This record gives sequence, C-alpha cells and structure tokens, in this order.
Amino acid sequence: MLSIVILTIFATVVLYLGFLKNRNIIIPIALFAVLLAAYCLLSNQNLWNNWFMNMMEIKDSSKAFSLLILFTAACIIPFLNVFKKRGSEELADFSGILLYSLIGGIMMVSYSDLIILFLGLEILSIAMYILAGADRKKISSSEASMKYFIIGAFASAILLFGISLYYASSGSFRLDVTVVHSSALLNLSYLLIFCGLAFKIALVPFHFWAPDVYQGTPTIFTATMATIVKISAFGALYQFIRICGANMSEWLYWLLSFVAILSIFLANIMAISQHSVKRLLAYSGIAQAGFILIGLLQFQPDKTWIILYYLVAYTLASLACFFACHFIEVKNGNDDHSAFKGLYYSNPFLAIVLSIALISLSGGPLTAGFMAKLFVLTNAAQIGNIALVVFALILAVISLYYYFRIINLMFTRTNIEHSWQVDMPYKGLLALLSIGTLVAGIAPYLLVNLLK
Amino acid sequence: MDSILSLILFPLFFALLIAFLNKKYAAGIALTGSGLSLFYFLYLLSGFKNSLKVLNEFSIPWIPGIEAELHFGLDSLSIFMLLLTCLVFPIGILASMKYEEHRSKSYYILLLIGLTALLGFFSAQNDITFYVFFELALIPFYFIILMYGGSNRKKAVFKFLMFTVFGSFLMLAAIIYFHSLTGINKTSDWAMLYDMEISLSAQTWILAGIFIAFAIKSPLFPFHTWQADLYSEGDRPTIIIIAAVLSKMGLFGLLRFFNVVDDAILHYQMPLIILCLIGIIYAALVAWRQSSMSRLLAYSSLSHMGMIAAGILTASISGLQGSIFQMLSHGIVAAGLFFIVDLIMFRTNNSSIYGSAGIASTQPKLATYFFLLCLASVGLPLTSGFIGEFDILLGLANTNIYLSAIAGLSLIFGAIYTLRFYQKSMFGEMIESNNEWAPITLNEDYVLIILVILVLAFGFFPSSWLDLADQATASFVHLKSKI
Repeated sequence: MLSIVILTIFATVVLYLGFLKNRNIIIPIALFAVLLAAYCLLSNQNLWNNWFMNMMEIKDSSKAFSLLILFTAACIIPFLNVFKKRGSEELADFSGILLYSLIGGIMMVSYSDLIILFLGLEILSIAMYILAGADRKKISSSEASMKYFIIGAFASAILLFGISLYYASSGSFRLDVTVVHSSALLNLSYLLIFCGLAFKIALVPFHFWAPDVYQGTPTIFTATMATIVKISAFGALYQFIRICGANMSEWLYWLLSFVAILSIFLANIMAISQHSVKRLLAYSGIAQAGFILIGLLQFQPDKTWIILYYLVAYTLASLACFFACHFIEVKNGNDDHSAFKGLYYSNPFLAIVLSIALISLSGGPLTAGFMAKLFVLTNAAQIGNIALVVFALILAVISLYYYFRIINLMFTRTNIEHSWQVDMPYKGLLALLSIGTLVAGIAPYLLVNLLK
Repeated sequence: MDSILSLILFPLFFALLIAFLNKKYAAGIALTGSGLSLFYFLYLLSGFKNSLKVLNEFSIPWIPGIEAELHFGLDSLSIFMLLLTCLVFPIGILASMKYEEHRSKSYYILLLIGLTALLGFFSAQNDITFYVFFELALIPFYFIILMYGGSNRKKAVFKFLMFTVFGSFLMLAAIIYFHSLTGINKTSDWAMLYDMEISLSAQTWILAGIFIAFAIKSPLFPFHTWQADLYSEGDRPTIIIIAAVLSKMGLFGLLRFFNVVDDAILHYQMPLIILCLIGIIYAALVAWRQSSMSRLLAYSSLSHMGMIAAGILTASISGLQGSIFQMLSHGIVAAGLFFIVDLIMFRTNNSSIYGSAGIASTQPKLATYFFLLCLASVGLPLTSGFIGEFDILLGLANTNIYLSAIAGLSLIFGAIYTLRFYQKSMFGEMIESNNEWAPITLNEDYVLIILVILVLAFGFFPSSWLDLADQATASFVHLKSKI
C-alpha cells in the first residue's frame, strides 16, 4: 500500500515540476519514485496495508507482479529523455502520467475486490490513452490514441458488465466469497470479465486494435503497452483464476484453451506479412500472450513461478526489441523492415542485442524464452493436454519465419554504412537486458528461486 | 580437471580471448583453441576404459519443474563423434585461413561457439541437455553462413533454419510427451530413460516426432531439400564442418533415442528401411548427373546418410556397429573431399566439376590424395569406408537379403558418380587459366596427409575402433534381449 501512496505523491509532484525551468531533474525524480516504491515492496513495509477493508492485498504473487511492473517502468523511464527537447512541461506530463499508470497496474495485480480491479484498469487505461497520443503533431499518434480510447472504453464496459453479473449471482464484489453453486449466470460473468481483460492483453479475437495502436504510439509508450499493460492484465487474470478458478465450469476452460491456440495461430500468420516492425512485434506479443494463457489455464498454486518466469522472459526480450526499434526510428525516421538492413555493419552492438531478444522470443536454446516455453508446455503436458502442446509448438515454428527475417536483414550488407552508436547509459541498459535473457536461460534456477 | 565440462568450455574460453584481442591473432587463436581441444580430448580418451559406464561425468541440477539435470559425460557412443568433431574443426579453421582478409573476429568466435555446442551435444547424457545443444549448434552456423556465404546464401540458410527448427520443435513435443507419459520427476541420464516401459502406440508417436527431426537434420530422403542449396551456397570452410559433423547429428540422435523407441522401430522397420533405400538410390542417381562439385558431394552425402540410417534401423548388432563406424569414417572422408573442393574453388573460382580439368598433370600430389579419398568414399576394401558399409550390408542381409541387394546397388552407383567426379575434375583437357595454379600449400598438404593416413589407418586397423563400436552397441541392452 505504501508504494502506491509513494507513487501517487511523486506522480503529482512530477506533474508540478513541469513549471520549473530545469528539465534535468524530472527523470531522476521519477526513477527515484519507482525505485523507492520497489524498495517498499521488497522490504515488506506494511504501513496502511489494511486500508479499504482489505479490498486489495499486496503479498506473495501480487507482490512479484508489482515488482515486475516497477522493474519494467524503471527500464522505460530513462527513455523519456526524447521528450526533453519539447520542453519541461511535456516531459513532466508524460513522466507523471507514466507513474500514475503504474498505480493502476499495481492495483490490477493485487485486487481482491472487483471494484479495485475496475479502478486499477481505468487508471492504467486512461494513462495509456494519453500516452498513446503523445506525439501530438503526428496524425498516426492521435489516431492510435483515439482508437485505443474507443476500444478500451468498450472493453471496460464489458468488464463492468461482467462485474455486475458477478455481483448479481454471488451477492458480493469480493473474489473470495463462497459461492454455493456454480450457476450459468456466474459463468457468464467469468466469461465477460475474461473478455474485458483479454482486450487489454490483446488476445485473439480481441486483438484488432493492437497492431494499429502499437504502430501509431511513440515507441517508448508502445513498449509500456506491450509490457506493463500486459503484465497487469495477466496479473489480474491470474488473481482471478487463482481464487475463482475452482468455480469455473469445464467449457470455460476449453474456450480459453481455444483462445490460446487461436491467438498463437492467427497472430503468427498475420505477423508474416507485416512490414512495420512495431506491428510485427504487436502480433508477436499476441502470440506470446497465447503461450502465457496456456500456462495460466493449468493453474496450480505451486506453479505460479511458471507464469512469472514467462512474463519476465517476455518483458526482457520485448523491452530490448522496442528499445532497439526506438533507436532505429530516431535514426531513420521509420520502423520499416528496410530500416534494419545492414544494422550489424553500422551498429553491431544493437544488432546483437536485438538478435538475442528475437531468438529469445522465438524460443531459441539457452535463452529465457526457451526455458519459459519449456516450463509452460511441460506443465501443460503433465496435466494431460498433450494436443495443446503439439499444436502450440508447430504453430511456434511459423514465428521463426518473421523473427529470423529481421535477423537476416540485419546481417545483410548495404552500400551505405554509417557506423553509429547508442549512448552509453542506454547501452548499459540494453546490455543488461541481453545478459538477463541469457543468464535466465542458462541458469534458470537463479531466477526461479527468486520468483519462488 | 578431468571433467568433460572443461573440454566443452575450452573453446568458449578461446572465443572470449579472440573477442578481447586484435583481429590479426583471431585465426591463430581459433586454430590453437580447436587444436588444443583435440589434444585435450585425446588425453581424456587415453583414460577411457572399455566399459558400459559413463566416464568423466559432469552433472548439476539445471531446469526446475521437470527437474532436469545438465549432464555431460563420455561413453562409448559419444567418443566416436567427439573425436570427429575435434578432428574436423582445426581442418575447417585451416581451410578458412586463406580467406583471412574477408573474415572478421566474429567468424572465429562463432566457430568456437559452434565447437562448444557440438561437444556439448555429443556428450549430452540426458534428453533435455541433448535437445538444448541440438538447437544451440544451429545458431552459430546459421550466423556464419548468413555473413560469409555465397550470393544466394540468405535463401539457402533460411530454408535450412526453418526445416531444422520445424524438426526440432517436433522433437521437443516428443520429448515433452515422453516425460508426461512416464511422469519422470528427475531427468538424469539415458540409462534411466531407456528403462521406461512405454506402450507401442505412445512409442510410435515419439518415433514419428524424433524421426522427422533427425531425418531433417541428417538429412534423409525426403527431407533433404535444404541440403544441396546450403552446401553450394554456404561458406565453404564451414561447409566442411557441416558436412562432416552436423550431418551426423541426426543419426547420432537416432542412436541415442533407439532404446526409448525400440519397439516402434522394430514394428515399423520395413517401411522406414525402404524409405532409406529409396533415398540412397535416388541420391546416388541425382549425384551422377550433377555438374556442380558441392551439389554432387551434397547428394553423395545424402546417399551415405541413407545407408547409415538403414544400418541403424536394421536393429542388428552388425548393422548398428557398422553405422557407428561409418559415421566416423564418412565424417573424415567428407571433410577431406569438401576440403579439396574448397581448395580447388579457391583457385579456379568455378564450382563446376569441369573447372579444374587436367590439373592432375601439374598437381600430382593433390590428385593422389583426392583419389584415395574418393576410394574411401566408394568403400573400397582397406579404406575406412569399406568396413562400415560392409557391416551395414551384412546387417541388412540378416534382415532381408533383397534389401541388402538394393543397398548394394548404391555401392555401384557410388563408384560411378565418385569416379566420374574424379575423372572430370582431375583429367581431361587442361583449361588455359589453370596453368598458373598455385601449388598446394604446406597447410593443405598436412591436412590432406593426415586425413589420408587416418582413412588408411582405420581401413587397415579397424579392430580397436570396431571393439569400441561393439561396446556402444552393447549398451543397447534392451535390444539384445529382444533379438
């Protein structure tokens, strides 16, 4: 709870810092706020923990999800630097709003009352609608913001409908209320709540907004969307399945398995023909979400770390991808495939970082992505869903095509090769992401023990 | 220090060294690293006793959830392929040194990573370790060919990647299925996996998964379509390694998983062997009509791989023994032949088999080495190629005499295409531009002499290695009880 209070206070302070002439202090303060919040979580501060009648509890798994959100935010905040030249007002606005979105994320992963879930989702979403339109002068950015807003509002409405049906059938907003018998109405409410969250995660068939919005949004905030929003929504879904999973009827499980397979299949097929790398990463994110959903479906209390591990692996790799994309965009003005051509010969560091990230996303050996897929799939197989495993793996082969097409391009020589460099602090951050991916893949016990 | 892990990490250490030192030392360090790996392996080999036990073991807990261990070790099966790997890498690096100005440090770093991956793969002592290194070995070679291959390399290497990964994902599915069936809580070594009782229908599914994976990797007919493209477009020194070592990965895997799926193999033996035989004859006929040297050798390799696979699938002692021996022998011969192709193409810049016509009169030494390697490839008695093929044919004859007769045809076809290759490229009308050929260098001379000596030594004195192959075969305990 204390961490949310800290974030709220700092977010407001950061907003007002925009009035100062000094632009250099905003990002350090935002970063400090995130780290302080993370420290509060790590050191088990329980000040104000029982506020709001225990409507939210930050402990165990939700703490891990919250820490992951904060860690991701700490990686993203330094990149807000690109808004520096636009004046301290905008910089302060975006930093503050990003901090607010974290509050929403933490609320989403630690609710035990559906009202908090809705509140968190709205705080996160409204912040993201604004951030999607951060490039005010670009029509595509405004379009992305508008699209995201309309579809997001629609998703919120569905979620709210689900919550109200939940209230109607169980008589409470609390998740842990004892349900006497599993009625059709209750299952319908589960389905609607799932649909609302699936919009945020961007699972097939609720994924249509993702490529358009990802493409229009400034890359830094696309990275936020692909990581923080996904982690939060998965955290919320996890919390939901953990507590209510026992009441779910069989057909709902089959439906969710079907959604998972469909996500992997359709997203991979659609990604093949994409020329914009950000669109491609949007589809890749949908496919990865399908894998995480497989992990969620086989929920066992002692296997929480599988989902967390997958999310960590996904976050490390997709942050690296989006950051690389960001640098390419700053350099070449677009994120088209052709902009990546010959990257290895002009900027070998970035090419290697991006290659490791893409190999990890594709499930290459000795990377975090491989271990994550292995955990999810072996777990699914142990429960007896071997057909799901075989489907998922065969469909994952398709993803190799588009991941390695980018790698192929990066290692193709071009005639014009101006060698350029990434600035030192960012270089360190990118190297950290790559090393994290490799270490988690080579020695999975390190990370797993941490997550346990 | 005697742990196998130090052998596996050895090349990685040299790769790090290259990364931090000047570019001009890169080739030298890579050569030293791979050479020292060879000597270190020979040192480990000298302590190897003929026993069924796994020696020089290294194992630590690795993957939580399925409780898999990272487990390496020397056993009588792995030493064949480890010897081949350690032997071929210095040759590949020596061959690449003449292109020095086109090679950056990354080339040698990737090669050494590839060496580590292959050493890990061949000494893997459980299926998860095996799988991870199976996939890992692909990545450095993918990048090498992507950066240093011929003009159409991108298409060829992409095809190679997609094919192989498709296969390995099927294998992963089979492995996951296998684990979920047996409910193994601790994945430690092969012997434990072999002890599992699995029903025939389950074995069939597992066999389907791994057979496709290994048939793509080797390759075997009809999964071979990536091979000729890759061999002709790839970076030639790397192709030496790929043709000699990587092509054995699939067959090695088939041997490793043999005991897991032995019932299914015995059940589907006939159709699988017939598939191999079709491949043998088909590849030999295609090789006959090739005019590109690399493509000819690619199809010749395909034919030989089919033969070895047929030997394994006979599930007989002599067939298995012959296959294991032939894997080593073919590796050495293929390395030699691809080394000569690289040497010729470096000088003529022409991939046609007619490009170097008439060179035998000015380069008698080269022509002699080439001839001896060709004979070994054909399988002439007193060369290493003979023993393996003979054993395989014997095994086939024990299964079914007609199969053996058909497989025997491939020896005749083999002689035809190999000798045609030799004749067209060495004899005939001398091409004008070939008059000022640079004589073969000292390095090339040494490599070829060593290879020819090895081919003859294995041909004249195969017994100690056949004993080892017999040991490896004896480890198929299940099999013996079933025959």
